[in-house]
Amino acid sequence: MSLNTEKEIIVYQPNSRQKTGFLKSLFLMAKNIKNSRELIWQLFVRDFLAAYKKSFLGIGWIILAPIFGIVSWVFMNYAGVLKPGDVGIPYPAYILLGTSFWGLFMGFYTSAAETLNTGQGFIMQVKYPHEALLAKQILQQLANFLASFIVIMLVLLSFKVIPSWQILILPILILPMLFLGAGIGLLVSVIGVVANEIRRIMDIALGTLIFFTPIIYSSDSTGGMIAKIIKINPLTYIIGGVRDAITYGKIENLSYFIWSGIGSFIFFLFAWRLFYVSEEKVIEKMI
Amino acid sequence: MQKENVKNELDSDVVIKVEGLHKKFCRNLRRSMFYGCLDVTRDMFGISRDRGKLRRDEFFALENVSFEVKKGEAFGIIGQNGSGKTTLLRIINGIFPPDRGKISVRGRIGALIAVGAGFHPHMTGRENIYLNGTILGMTKKEINDKFREIIDFADIGEFIDAPVSTYSSGMTVRLGFAIAIHSNSEILLADEVLAVGDLNFALKCYRKIAEYRGKGGAIILISHNMHMIRHLCQKVVWIQNGKMINTGDVLEMCNKYEEVSLNKDYEENNISDNAKILNFDDSFKISSVDFLDSKDSKTNKFISGEPLKIRINFQSKRSINNPIFSISLLDSEGNIIFESYSKIGEIGSLLSEGTVEFLTEKLSIRPNIYDCSISLAEGELLNKIEWHERAYKVVFDNKNNLEINQGIIFPYPQWILKNKIK
Repeated sequence: MSLNTEKEIIVYQPNSRQKTGFLKSLFLMAKNIKNSRELIWQLFVRDFLAAYKKSFLGIGWIILAPIFGIVSWVFMNYAGVLKPGDVGIPYPAYILLGTSFWGLFMGFYTSAAETLNTGQGFIMQVKYPHEALLAKQILQQLANFLASFIVIMLVLLSFKVIPSWQILILPILILPMLFLGAGIGLLVSVIGVVANEIRRIMDIALGTLIFFTPIIYSSDSTGGMIAKIIKINPLTYIIGGVRDAITYGKIENLSYFIWSGIGSFIFFLFAWRLFYVSEEKVIEKMI
Repeated sequence: MQKENVKNELDSDVVIKVEGLHKKFCRNLRRSMFYGCLDVTRDMFGISRDRGKLRRDEFFALENVSFEVKKGEAFGIIGQNGSGKTTLLRIINGIFPPDRGKISVRGRIGALIAVGAGFHPHMTGRENIYLNGTILGMTKKEINDKFREIIDFADIGEFIDAPVSTYSSGMTVRLGFAIAIHSNSEILLADEVLAVGDLNFALKCYRKIAEYRGKGGAIILISHNMHMIRHLCQKVVWIQNGKMINTGDVLEMCNKYEEVSLNKDYEENNISDNAKILNFDDSFKISSVDFLDSKDSKTNKFISGEPLKIRINFQSKRSINNPIFSISLLDSEGNIIFESYSKIGEIGSLLSEGTVEFLTEKLSIRPNIYDCSISLAEGELLNKIEWHERAYKVVFDNKNNLEINQGIIFPYPQWILKNKIK
């Protein structure tokens, strides 16, 4: 244990995070995530296995949940109550794919919103970069999605729906979803410590958005005000576009998809910056 | 936080430097949350504000604290409950940001306060060593290198491969401590707890800490155990109500601290709150009791190792033959420090008015606040006439610097070594 004068000195001062430049803070956090790979992996294994070890159905639930999720929509469609319009493929397949991507977006949001809560227990005693918690949450969400996606593909194939080649670039296609969902989640994670209702309000608000996104129905089947909202809703492109890419092999309104993607990325950077500046101040309110 | 490799910012032998530290909190929960919202909103728009100013309902939990810890030093933080010691530790650990002032830290900090942090009950002890070690900042290589040592130190046998949920609380704490104490840090932070578990394990902890100190590690210790602070630390900072009273040599600071703490409960008329005064005979009365020091002045503050005189003033309508006075000294837990009876015939009969004095030349007891009980019996011990149960408070301090340590009395020891010459 040698102590030499060259050892790094850490200085704590008021507002030091705020004084750090925008880009510098983003690079710092990225570097912290890189340096805490081991911690992220350990926490991921801990929490992912938690669901797995607890019950037999544990991981099975992750796989089967999307299928249970579409039951009510499929039933309403079958009963003639729900008219989704012509979606080009069997409706159950259409909605299964759509809702699984919607679930992924909501999952990114929820897991990011839990970022600070997931460290509870040792966030007060040990110093470590909290952006590692965000990385762990995202990783967990992706792992859950991967598990269920394999099953979903099998179901699709059973409906004789062959996914297009774009499935190979799926990791890139879901990036806008990740940025927008995680961005909103990060904001909620920080603000939610000092204003508890924000989380609930955002959960409800985002949950309602599924009715203004062509997930349950196709975009052609609506008119009037709803059609207008669908057109300006970025989720239409970010989520609906990915579903269309897998199903039909092309994204309608590709330019909107790209712009929404860029917008989501910039939004995420700002949300991440806010996390960096504010989180140390809200953490003391978590006592 | 910013990282700087500036050699002249910190003297080469200093590992922690706290300069003018202020930390504020809000005492009203709703307002605290409101301020939090305000701060976050300001952050969103990049508006900064001087965090050193107090808003309504805000108060400084720490105010203008400054001290230095040198490499290899054991540094104590003393002060009453609620004085801000734990907050100070959290700021040094980098968990709370300061509101004014500056803290510079050179080296990795390990926290003995994070025992068992992040333990997952369904994972085995082995798996949790990696998890907890990583949370505490160890790299995988460091954990691998110390793995065997940690398992041996924790001493939980085959349970190391069982889920932590099956452990007793003692085992969990031993494993957590074993990991924390091997975490390769240059500065160790401890809040009251330097050792855990049963006696055997606690001794292991102390030995490990001594080993750590021997290798040049610094420790910052919060403790109410003055014995521990005196023996382990070289320097101490005294925090009271968030303010730094002083920082300096351990003996000097601890003595001053004890003196003030004892003074706080000092009662001018030295009548105790829990006094029970019973009288079984109307014709007799103890009118007052005086406590006198070596100069015969009335006081209730005494110095350990010096004389104590108790003067009982009485009035009686009849003469009392064969009086037996008793005086006992008790600590706050009711343990009897000493009990003394006047022997029959030793003092003679009591007439209408007078005093009885009790004198001990040298009472070398632990600095503390004691209760004094006084009673008078007639003829035999159980035939009580008057009884003042724990009615008087006496305070002993240690101006003579007697090394009483964990005990109650000072034995005026002599140690003699005789080696066998071959």
